[in-house]
Order: sequence, then structure tokens, then C-alpha cells
Amino acid sequence: MNEKINWKVCMKGFLHHVAPYKGRLIIAILALVCSTAIYAGNPLIEGSITTQLTKDAKEIMNQVEGAHVHFDIVIKTIITLAIRYGLRAFLLLVSAFFLTNAIQSTMRDLRNSLQTKIQRLPVRYFDSHAFGDVLSTVTNDVDTLSNALQQTFTKAITGGLTFILALSMMFKINVTMAVVSLIIIPMTVLITKIFVKRSQRLFHLQQKTVGEMNGTITELYGGFNEILLYNKQKDAIKQFEEVNERMAKSAFKAQFISSMISPCISLVTYLTIGGVAVLGCIFVIQGTIVVGGLQAFIRYIWQINDPLSQVSQLSSQIQAAFAAMSRIFTLLNEEEEEQKGTVSIDAKEMKGNVSFEHVQFGYEEDLLMKDVNFEVKSGQMVALVGPTGAGKTTLMNLLLRFYDVKGGAIKIDGVDIKDMNREQLRSLFSLVLQDTWLFNGSIYDNIRYGRLNARKDEVIDSAKMANVHHFIRTLSHGYDSMINEEANNISQGEKQLLTIARAILKDPQILILDEATSSVDTRLEKMLQDAMQKVMKGRTSFVIAHRLSTIKNADLILVIKDGDIIEQGTHESLLKQGGFYEKLYNSQFANKTVES
Amino acid sequence: MRLILHYLKRYKLLVFLNIVSVFGFALVELGIPTVVSDMIDNGVMNQDETYLVRMGIRIAIISIIGVLGTILLGYCCAKISTSVTRDIRHDVFQKVQSFSHSEMNQFGVASLITRTNNDAFQIMMFLNIILKTALLTPVMMAVSFTLTITTSLKLSLIIVSTIPIIILGVVLVGKISMPISEKQQASLDSINRIFRENLTGIRVIRSFNNDAYESERFDDENVNFMNQSKRLFKLMSSTEPIFFLLMNLAALLIYFTASHMIEAQTLQVGKLVAFMEYLFHAMFSVMLFCMVFMMYPRANVSAKRIMAVLDMDTSIHNGASKKEEKTAEHSVVFDHVDFVYPDGEEAVLKDISFEAKAGETVAFIGSTGSGKSTLIQLIPRFYDVSSGHIFIDGVDVRDMDFYELRNKIGFVPQKANLFSGTIEDNIRFGKEDATMEEIIHATKVAQAYDFIMEKPLQFKERIVEGATNVSGGQKQRLSIARALVRKPQIYIYDDSFSALDFKTDATLRAELKKEITNEIVFIVAQRVSSIMDADQIIVLNEGKVVGKGKHKELLKSCDIYYEIASSQLSEEEM
Repeated sequence: MNEKINWKVCMKGFLHHVAPYKGRLIIAILALVCSTAIYAGNPLIEGSITTQLTKDAKEIMNQVEGAHVHFDIVIKTIITLAIRYGLRAFLLLVSAFFLTNAIQSTMRDLRNSLQTKIQRLPVRYFDSHAFGDVLSTVTNDVDTLSNALQQTFTKAITGGLTFILALSMMFKINVTMAVVSLIIIPMTVLITKIFVKRSQRLFHLQQKTVGEMNGTITELYGGFNEILLYNKQKDAIKQFEEVNERMAKSAFKAQFISSMISPCISLVTYLTIGGVAVLGCIFVIQGTIVVGGLQAFIRYIWQINDPLSQVSQLSSQIQAAFAAMSRIFTLLNEEEEEQKGTVSIDAKEMKGNVSFEHVQFGYEEDLLMKDVNFEVKSGQMVALVGPTGAGKTTLMNLLLRFYDVKGGAIKIDGVDIKDMNREQLRSLFSLVLQDTWLFNGSIYDNIRYGRLNARKDEVIDSAKMANVHHFIRTLSHGYDSMINEEANNISQGEKQLLTIARAILKDPQILILDEATSSVDTRLEKMLQDAMQKVMKGRTSFVIAHRLSTIKNADLILVIKDGDIIEQGTHESLLKQGGFYEKLYNSQFANKTVES
Repeated sequence: MRLILHYLKRYKLLVFLNIVSVFGFALVELGIPTVVSDMIDNGVMNQDETYLVRMGIRIAIISIIGVLGTILLGYCCAKISTSVTRDIRHDVFQKVQSFSHSEMNQFGVASLITRTNNDAFQIMMFLNIILKTALLTPVMMAVSFTLTITTSLKLSLIIVSTIPIIILGVVLVGKISMPISEKQQASLDSINRIFRENLTGIRVIRSFNNDAYESERFDDENVNFMNQSKRLFKLMSSTEPIFFLLMNLAALLIYFTASHMIEAQTLQVGKLVAFMEYLFHAMFSVMLFCMVFMMYPRANVSAKRIMAVLDMDTSIHNGASKKEEKTAEHSVVFDHVDFVYPDGEEAVLKDISFEAKAGETVAFIGSTGSGKSTLIQLIPRFYDVSSGHIFIDGVDVRDMDFYELRNKIGFVPQKANLFSGTIEDNIRFGKEDATMEEIIHATKVAQAYDFIMEKPLQFKERIVEGATNVSGGQKQRLSIARALVRKPQIYIYDDSFSALDFKTDATLRAELKKEITNEIVFIVAQRVSSIMDADQIIVLNEGKVVGKGKHKELLKSCDIYYEIASSQLSEEEM
């Protein structure tokens, strides 16, 4: 593993994001340091009151002449302390405010960077990386980092500082007692080591059981149909119960073992305090130290105990934060796709002639397309046919440059798309996919998405063109109706009509359409077809075809199998050819399509 | 909260021990200062070294007891929180098993997985905080108060007076932070949602060149989240210094009062030292209590999501009477069946009536959305009819016991689902006590035997999770074998031959036919050729029966059937 390089990259990236807020961060740290220094000094001053009182009390007890409590000294010390307490609280507040500001602003920038990054990464990246992983980086990882910084940062700084200051104060009060107290340190390290080793193994085990649990639930919920049909509910519960029980056991062990660290460390502290108290009292009797000193000393031991017992917890938080950070910056350091091209085109002047010249392509090393050649004139319709999973989306991927060809060239109006600016190239296209994509927002916003500067009447016109205007009017809020998260408040067919309206609004030269096959009722199916016909008029269109009518009317049929275009021609010429298309036509299309 | 309390009741003893052990912790934290003060007051003042050593030993004993208490606390806390989560998971899972399809669809598999796993985990974290830290605060406060009241009423009053201030502060912080925290959570959900949209719509967004718009949309919510987080974190981190300041000022007040008392000789210095220690420890426990606010909103959301599952009423109930009226011949009868999906408006099936007799094959055909898959799903009661009746052997399916009903049926769904385990396990799923001969026979009929034998471990070959190591066609054949081994009275094939090539499809159907003697077979199909020879073909259109009869009759009498057939078959085949 190149962990060190990774770490460097992480720090560099992180510092880059923190840089704009370094002023606030420095103020926060300074305030934190000052407040800790005050905190460390307090026990000694508090002790001085005790000392003073003890002395006075002794005198009173021994009935020394004129013995009384020296209120002037006591009150002076109390005022000093009040100021110190107030100052400390103020400094802590200052540090909390500045720190929160700096951290949360940094996190916002980090999220924005990730979002921007997503827009610039090649589509290839998302096809080869699990969707959930990318999502979890933005949400969970940034959250982990934010929480770690927010909580751990302060604790680590104050903890470290308190430790050092308290220790030096202890030495200042009494060297012998300080040396005795030092035993806490090796003992703590030892205890932490013993337990952490065990608990880490147990936490790994727990993590593994969580994984198993997830797998089991996924399978049993996914196979719900079968379990119901075969009366296997009891077995399913039994199977689940077994994992659940194991999970509870491993979680218990992990929790219990790790919960023992803190009391064990405390035991050492308690015993040390006991020892120091005995020793200290003897010293007081001998007159080596004063009572207040002893009181302060004990307080310092408590002060040391606090950060020490948190070491294991802090270190696991820090580790988690680093793991999160490394995922974030790994993503941010992925290579982006080149946006600019060498040739500038005027989108308005483009006609939409498309030609493939000796195109070679494959998603992996192996070439799927070996030598594809065809030409489409402006306004023509191309039907893509082939068995499911044959790679009909490949063509879309290539045309919009979601992927680049491995050989040959794709040209639009004679210009190689590789030389075009990506933005200009994409402005030529509209996509209407079966897997409709709508976002959480109003219907109006979703249609306007096709051209953000469109006027309201233009939006409504395109909705009318797409046969969806009437449907929208029937909704309770019309165009302002919201599409909810799963977009399940409107049907699949209506969604598709909306995406068609969106495509119409953009008014592109070239259209890529995916015909709807299922989950659309007959009435909507007709409206959809209508809308598709309208939108295709006068535009070059590539249609992933399921309907005989579409295929028969196509100017060019591309037959796709295993990612390659294996046959091309018109319906008649392909039938005559008697190849794969003929077979496909006679089998698959024979039973898939009702109308002809 | 209600959820947690409900489950805590089961572990009364442990909860009791948990509370007791919290006192153990309080004992050391507060006991040590008490002993130290005694050492100062008696040992130092009287210069009694043996007393000091005795007290030292006492500290050691208290420490050990206290630590044992704390370990016990850790034990109880871990035991209770993991047990409660286990119980919650168990109940959720069991509840889901009692769900019917409409409840399952309402939640969705992904959401149920999260609810069973992650949400239960959130509850566990919250319980840990409650049992360990939140309980500590009142106990520490109470113990330190009792300890002080015996030494000096006046001083203890000062401590007591801080209590309402602290409670007020805690309540105030809670009041202010809860809504912010909820808003923050909602905002986080929005961020996640937009980001997910960005990922799913990557091609569309790029094709519209709308990345700038997306960034803006994202940043709007991002800024919102940042502001909420800033408010929340600022509030949270300012409570600590403010509480500390209050306690510190109380301490100063104690010093001041104490010095007067010392002069009047009503207080010993050692006691004062002890007092200060109590205050110091009580302070820390208050700090810890603030953690509850951090955790509560998240746990609350999770609890609500779990409750939603547990409180769900299942829409389909087990039949009351188990008794069967044995008619001589088996039959399945649909009697004027209407069906509307639970949240649907329009009827998917309207007035469906037909009868299937023993030994018959009934086929359903029609365009997508005609309701044919829905129709057959009513037989095993995935859903219940909205009106009308379905009778099996003369008994309404709603009056039958689930177990009995489903035992009669071998259902092969459109999308075959296999479980991780060996091939044999998967087929045995249909009938637990099936012999090897029965299994082999079933796989032979289902045309699965040959490819199974080609696998290196044959029947012992493992199917991995998600069954990604077998092809779609193989999955279908295994799921057919699974239904066959059951030897049910009713077979239902819901478009189960779609992933098979023509040749396998034909052989499989021929073999299946040989198996049928007295059983009833329902087939939903797309291909006319698959159902031409059925005893009864029912043509559906928009949820209504538009034709019923044999192939030849329907060609003449039913236009829709003729249309479908003519688009698929050549003249001579018809």
C-alpha cells in the first residue's frame, strides 16, 4: 500500500480546503491553548485558598493571639479565580465559534468540490464504481470527518496540552509525588494495548457479522415471494434468528471488552491518588508541602486521567477520520475528462448528419465493435434493435462522448466529435430514456430543465406538444405540483411524457429515444407514441426500438449483438439477407409486439 | 422513546443492576474525595501516620469496588443494548414475514433492510448513551448532595441551588437544539437526495449541459445544511463552557461561605476540600448529559421508522376455518372477481369468471398491462380480491389457512429468485424431505439436469448470493424444478419460460405435460405458440375477459386473439 503518499495527498487536499479559513482556525487554536493554560493553573490557585484557610484554621484552633481568617487574601484570590474562570469560558466560546465556523465552511466547500468532481468525472467511472460507494463518500465520509474534527480536534488539543501542563505542575509541587504518579503513564499504555488488541479483533468480527446480517436480510427480503409461496416463513425467521443471535453476541463482546478500558485505567488513577494522598499527608505533616498543594496535586491527577482514559476512543475516531479523508481525496484526485475541444461549432448551424467511420470500441481491453461504418442524413430515423442486454446504450455512450471511440471517428456534419467542445457537442442532443430521470422539484422545473432560460409559455407549449399538458392540468397544483423523491406520485408513462416535453423544449438536432415497453397502459402508450412521432419530425433520431412500426419505418436499422453492430440496412434488405435480424424478427418481435 | 421503554421492560433485572452499578461509579468518584478530606482533617491535623495508611487502604478498597461497579455497568449496558437491538430486529423481521405484497411494496425492500439493520443500530447507540452517561448525572448529583447535607446544610444549599439552574439550562438547550437538529437532519437528507439524483441522472444532466444548474441546486442546500450545522454545533459547544463557568462560580461562593464558617469553627478544611471535589465531579457528569441531545434526534427518527414497520397492519389475514370440503374433483373457480390495487384508483381486473377443472391447462394471454399477472397472483393470495370470490376445491381462498393454501400451489414467478446455498438446497426448498430421486427427476423434467451435471460439484454446486453465477435461463429452470419437486395440486407459470430458447422451451413443455395427470395448470405467456394447445385460453384486455375458449375457436370468435396470433404465427401454423 502506498499509504504514505496517500496520506500526503490527503493532507495537501485537506489543507487546500482549510486554507480560506485558516485565520479563524488559528484564532480558535490560540483561544484553546490559552484557555487550557488557564485551566491548568487553576488548581494551584484554588489550593492556595485551602492552604490559607488551613493555616488560619490551625491558628484559630491553637488559639493564637489575633487569629482569624485572612479575608482580604481569600477574597483577592476568589476575585482572581472569578476572572480566570470568566476568561476561560470566554476563550472557550471564542474557540468554539471560530472552530465551528471554519470546520463547517470547510465541509461545505468539500461537499461542493465533490459535487463538481462528479460532474467532471468520465461516465466510465460510475459504470465501474458502485453507486452506493460514491454516495457514501459525500454523505457518510464527510459527516465522519466533520464530527471527528468538531469533537476530536478540541479534545486532542486540550487533552495533550492539559497532560503536559498538569504534569509539569505536579513536578513543581513535589518531585517525589510526581515521580510516583508517573506510574500512571506506562500502566495506561499497557492496559490500552492489551484491550485495544482484543477489542479490535472483536470489532472486526462484529463488522463481519454486520455484513453477514445485511446479506441475510437482503436475501430473505428479496426472496419474499418464494418464502411466502413455499411456506418458509418459519425457516426464514430461524435463519435470521441465528445470525441475529450471533450478531448480538459479537456486538456484546466487542462493547463489553472496550468498555473495560476506561475503568481499568481509572483503577490505576484511583490507586495512585490513594498512594499520593497518604504520601502527601505525610509530607504535609513533615511540612514539605502545604495542604493546598496536596489538594491541587490530586486535582492534577484527575486532570491527567481524563485525556488518558479517552486515548483509545480518540485514536479510533482519528483513524476513522483518516479513512474517511483518504476516500474523499481519492475521489477528488480521480482524473477528469477534458472539457475543451479544438474546433468550435455553431450549434445553430449544425444539420445533424452523423457518420461512423471505422469505429472501434470496447468497454474493457477487448474490442466489441471492430469496424463500424454507417451514415445518417439529417432528419433520418435510425432504429437500434437487438436482444436485451446486447449493448444498445453503447451507441448513446459514444455519440455523447460518455465514452470515447478506441479507433476510427464519429463525425457530425463532418466534424470529428473528439475535436468538439463537450458542451457544444451535447447541446446538439436530447435524450429520452426509458429509465426516466426526474428530480425532486415542480413539474415546471423539470420540463424547464431542457432549457433553463425558457419562458413559461415555451414550457407549456412543449408540454402540449408532448401530450402531457392536459394531464398536468388535472393535477391539484398544475405545473407547480411537486414530483416527490421516488417520483412515485406519477406513473411511468406520464414521467416519460414529461421527459419528452423536456427534450422538445431543448429543440436539438439529434434525438436519442428509448421506446417504452412495459408498465404503460394502452391509453398512455398511444399518447407516448404520438408524442415521440412529433418530436422526431425533422430531427435525426436514434431510437432503441421495440415496436414493429418503428422498425419498419426506419431509414436505417442497426442490429446490435454483444456490443457490436453486426448487421445494418432497411427492414426489407435485412430480411432478404436472412441473417440474425431475420431470425430475431421472426422470434422475438413475433411475440413481443401486438400491433403491426 | 415508547419503543425503547417497551423493550427495556424485558430486562428489568439488568436495568436494575445497571442503575445499582451507576452508584458504584458514583461511590469512587465521590468516595475518594471524602476519604482524602478525612485524611486531611484527622490524619494531618493529628499527625497520625497509621491512620493515614489505614485510609490509604480504604481508598484502595473503594477503588476496587468502584471499578468492579463500573465494569458491571459496562456489562449491563452492553448486554441490555445489544439484547434490545436483537429483540427489535427480531420483531421487525418477524413482522415483515407476516406482511403481504401490498405492505412489502409500500416500504420497499431497500428501506426494510435499512430499518432492520441501521435503524436498530442507531437505537443501540442511543441506549448506550442513556444507560451509561445519562443515568450518571442524576445519580452523581443526588449522591453528592446527600454527602454534603450531612456535613453542612449551608454549603449543600449552594450546590442545590445550582441544580435548578442546570435543569433549566438542560431543558433550554434541549428545546433549542431539537428543532435545529431535526432541520439539520432534514437538510442532510436533501443533500443526499440531490447527490443521488446527480448520480442517477449523470447522462441526462450532461446531455442538457446543466452541471452549473446542478451545482447551484446542490450548493443552496449545502449552505442551508452548513448554517444549521453551525448553529447546532455552536450551541452544543457553548453549553460546556457556560455550565463550567456556573459551577465554578458556585465553587467560589462555597469558598467564600466556607471561610466564614471556618472562622466560626463550624467547618473543617478537609471537608471543604471534599466539597470542591464533589462539585468538580458533578460538573463532569452534567457535561456528559449533553451527549443525549446530540444523539436523540437521530435515534428518534430511527425509532419512528421502526415503529412504522411494527405498527403496520397486515392487509391479508389468515383464513379462519381450516376445514376443507372435499369435492371429488379438484377445481379452481373465479367468480365475478374485481381487483383494485390497495392504493390504486382504477380496477386492474373487472368481473373475471372462469372455472378450471382437474387435469386442465388454462392459459392467459393479452398485452402488457392487461392484468394477466395480477390475476394469477390472486390465487396464492398475494393480494385479496376486491369483490367476488376465488374458490379452490369449493372453498373460498380467504377462508383457507395460508399454509394449506400455499402447499397446494407450485408457483414459478417471472423473476426467478434463488437463495445462497447448494443447488440441491434450492430445489429442496420446494419440499424439505424430497429424496434424491425426486430431485433428479424434477431437474430432468425442468431441463436443468444436464447443466447441473456439467458443474464441477453437480448438485452440491453453490449458488452465491444474488445467484449471479447462474444464467437467467438456468435460474428459471431451477425455479421450475423447485416447484415440480413439491408435486402441488395447482401449477402456476407466470411467464416463466421467457429466458429459455425455443428448443428448450418446447422440450420443457412437452416434458411438463407428461407430468400432469390430475393437476391444474395456469400459464401466463407472451408467445401464442406456448399456449396454443391449452384446454382453455383466456384473453384479457384492460382487465376484462374478452375471449375464452380453445385456440381454433378463439381465432374465429375473438378479434384481439386473432390479432395477437396473426402477428406471431404464419398462415399454416394458425
